[in-house]
Amino acid sequence: MHELRVGEVVPLLEISRAWLVDPVSRREGPGEVVVRDGILEAVTWLKGAAADGIGPDGVLVLPGLIDLHVHLREPGNEDAETVASGLAAAAHGGFTTVCAMPNTTPAADEPSVLARVAGAAAASGSPVELLAHGAVTVGRAGERLAALGELADAGVVGFSDDGSPVKSATLLRNALLYAGMLGLPIVEHVEDATLTSGAEANEGLVATILGLKGWPPAAEIAAAERAIAVLDSVRADATGARLHLTHLSTAGALAAVRRAKAAGLPVTCDVTPHHLGFTDEWVAGARRWAWEALDESGVARDPWADGALVAHPYATACRVNPPLRGAADAAACLAALVDGTADAVVTDHAPHTAVDKETEFGLAVNGISGLETAVGVLLAAVAAGRLSLARAVAALTVGPAAVMGSRPGRRGAARGLVEGAPADLVVVDAGDDWRVTPEALASRGKNTPLLGRELPGRVLVTLAQGRLAYQDPSERA
Amino acid sequence: MSTSPTTTPTPTQPDAGWRQKHLLDVDALSLDEIQLVMRTTDAMKEVLSRPIAKVPALRGTNVTILFYEASTRTRVSFEVAAKNLSADVVNIAASTSSVTKGESLVDTIRTVEALGADMIVMRHGTSGAPYLAAEVFSGSILNGGDGWHAHPSQALLDLYTMRAHLGDVRGKKVVILGDILHSRVARSNLWSLTASGADLWLCAPSTLLRGFDAWAGRWAGGGAPGHAGFHVTSDVDAALRDADVVMALRLQRERMDAGLLPSLREYSARFGLTRERLAGARPDALVMHPGPMNEGVEIAPDVAILDRSVITEQVTNGVAVRMALLYLLAGGHPEAVTNA
Ligand SMILES: [Zn+2]
Repeated sequence: MHELRVGEVVPLLEISRAWLVDPVSRREGPGEVVVRDGILEAVTWLKGAAADGIGPDGVLVLPGLIDLHVHLREPGNEDAETVASGLAAAAHGGFTTVCAMPNTTPAADEPSVLARVAGAAAASGSPVELLAHGAVTVGRAGERLAALGELADAGVVGFSDDGSPVKSATLLRNALLYAGMLGLPIVEHVEDATLTSGAEANEGLVATILGLKGWPPAAEIAAAERAIAVLDSVRADATGARLHLTHLSTAGALAAVRRAKAAGLPVTCDVTPHHLGFTDEWVAGARRWAWEALDESGVARDPWADGALVAHPYATACRVNPPLRGAADAAACLAALVDGTADAVVTDHAPHTAVDKETEFGLAVNGISGLETAVGVLLAAVAAGRLSLARAVAALTVGPAAVMGSRPGRRGAARGLVEGAPADLVVVDAGDDWRVTPEALASRGKNTPLLGRELPGRVLVTLAQGRLAYQDPSERA
Repeated sequence: MSTSPTTTPTPTQPDAGWRQKHLLDVDALSLDEIQLVMRTTDAMKEVLSRPIAKVPALRGTNVTILFYEASTRTRVSFEVAAKNLSADVVNIAASTSSVTKGESLVDTIRTVEALGADMIVMRHGTSGAPYLAAEVFSGSILNGGDGWHAHPSQALLDLYTMRAHLGDVRGKKVVILGDILHSRVARSNLWSLTASGADLWLCAPSTLLRGFDAWAGRWAGGGAPGHAGFHVTSDVDAALRDADVVMALRLQRERMDAGLLPSLREYSARFGLTRERLAGARPDALVMHPGPMNEGVEIAPDVAILDRSVITEQVTNGVAVRMALLYLLAGGHPEAVTNA
């Protein structure tokens, strides 16, 4: 591909001898694609000798990924991220659609804030599609309903007070009813704040040893159970009511969702790469993957006994809400992804400035910059044999699209590898590791405990709506 | 007191030296290093027994004492220790409220370094704060207590005091009684005492022991490499039975406000260290307290003044241990102290 700028229509891109994954047709295998004048002109599945030597450990072609849950910080905290830098980070991570959370300053609780964000997206020149969730309550204060109908008219894909839960169960009930009428989900951050006041790290061995105030899994489980019970109570009145629980991190909350789904309740949920890949022992200085931190009987190992502590303890890059959990909870997140209890993987991309993170652990803000490392963490799980590539891709494409209730033609709809449609795809070299460094990250938020580490899966090219969204420097001719 | 390190033949071991740039917690210390601190403290005790209790070991070294929490005892102990070694001492009483005014810990450490600090003794209310300081400071950080996490000089002076009376603490029953959950003293003592092979018992109301039972369970089959297991109980009489050492911890009033305990009265009735309770321990059991004491709450006034109470000795040994730590961090060797 010749030197193209971000946003330009791709005149010609031929990818031969790649491993194609199409979650819409549920097909994966060796193949080739041709993009001409921004259109995915040809998708050819190779057979026989032509397919020899092509595997899922080499160059992958996937549909553009969707992230239901990102924080782009604009308006209000542009030092941490702007819409432009956030969309650049998304493209570098392989995402062609992201949904911004409304906890900006001011909060996106009425359409004018959304218009401002949309204007910034247009001005950025990025072809990455920016969708938005609206706030559930005015100012996310948990007292009065935000302008839900007007926000729906302005195109939001859901409502959330993320950053915190909807404070009152009565308001949550009313929001479920009203949003159900509008055909949109409530995206709930489940946390019983009476159990997490002053909490610093997952309640367990690590917090006990490090002298950090415990953040109990029960806080998430209790809030998840409550939200599901509230949903159940409105079903008879609002057939359209839908509840989506975001960034679940505990076996207990995921079990509650599993039961609710089995009972036919309209509930969905997602998990993050960091909650399934990292554990609370990272706060103590371990850096092994979650699946390496479990013993044969499914119990978390002891990083002190194992001599697994390799980094400084109290790294604020590991501070996140909900907190990194124990290895058993992380395994439950992965299991929920594998068995479909978790409908989607979201990054909960939460960029922060160095100033907000370069401070005492107890005073640091919560959040991990995640858009650019999500594919790498999931590919590490795939490489470890813990997750299928097809499932990982589905949870980043058709899964989140279904949560948004996408219909054909609607924004945010999953794009498979469909001939004749505008090219919306990502090319990843699963066999090429890259090092996570501040310079390598397009996001202004360098707050990830993966800094300095090699991750599998270099993103070579991301195309969105037929246009160039990202191109690896080494691919530029 | 004790043997002179210069005349005691010590077996030469390749790893017997001091390898720490900082002292952030005792968990980083090998048993050899703990022994080295004990031997160096012996030498410092000898210095303290001289008419002029001062050596030039740290002459020209700037020791900055940076305390974010008020603590006269520990601050003065470090200050006396540093001055006994002829260091230049700078005292800074910082407040965590300055954080909200825009001066971050990192800014402060960089400023203190620019002002010439070679070592920083740091007290901070947030667990882990000295680890952040150690990342930005080019000299040595000596943790003078961080949040609920660690208080290494206290644990080492406690160990020194126990050894002065009991000899080796291996197999000796040591009971820490009180607010374990919020105690950096308990956590640091846990590392040094289990490393030293003591039979450690932690005793507190169940609300102030949360998480420790799981920790003890984890270590039951051998915890961190070289460490013994420990016991956790809310049964004071079982804990004190035949104990060699009983250390009471300060109970803070905030624990009632946080709903962890019904009342000071009830705590003192059930968990206070009284003569009656102490009768279950060995007749010569040492009574310890890291101070400051709430007499009549966690410890009865008539217990604190018993002959076997070594609470004031802890204070004296505190100076010697802190001299030893400053000296070792500055690169000194115990054999050289008396000639220094
Ligand atoms: Zn959230």
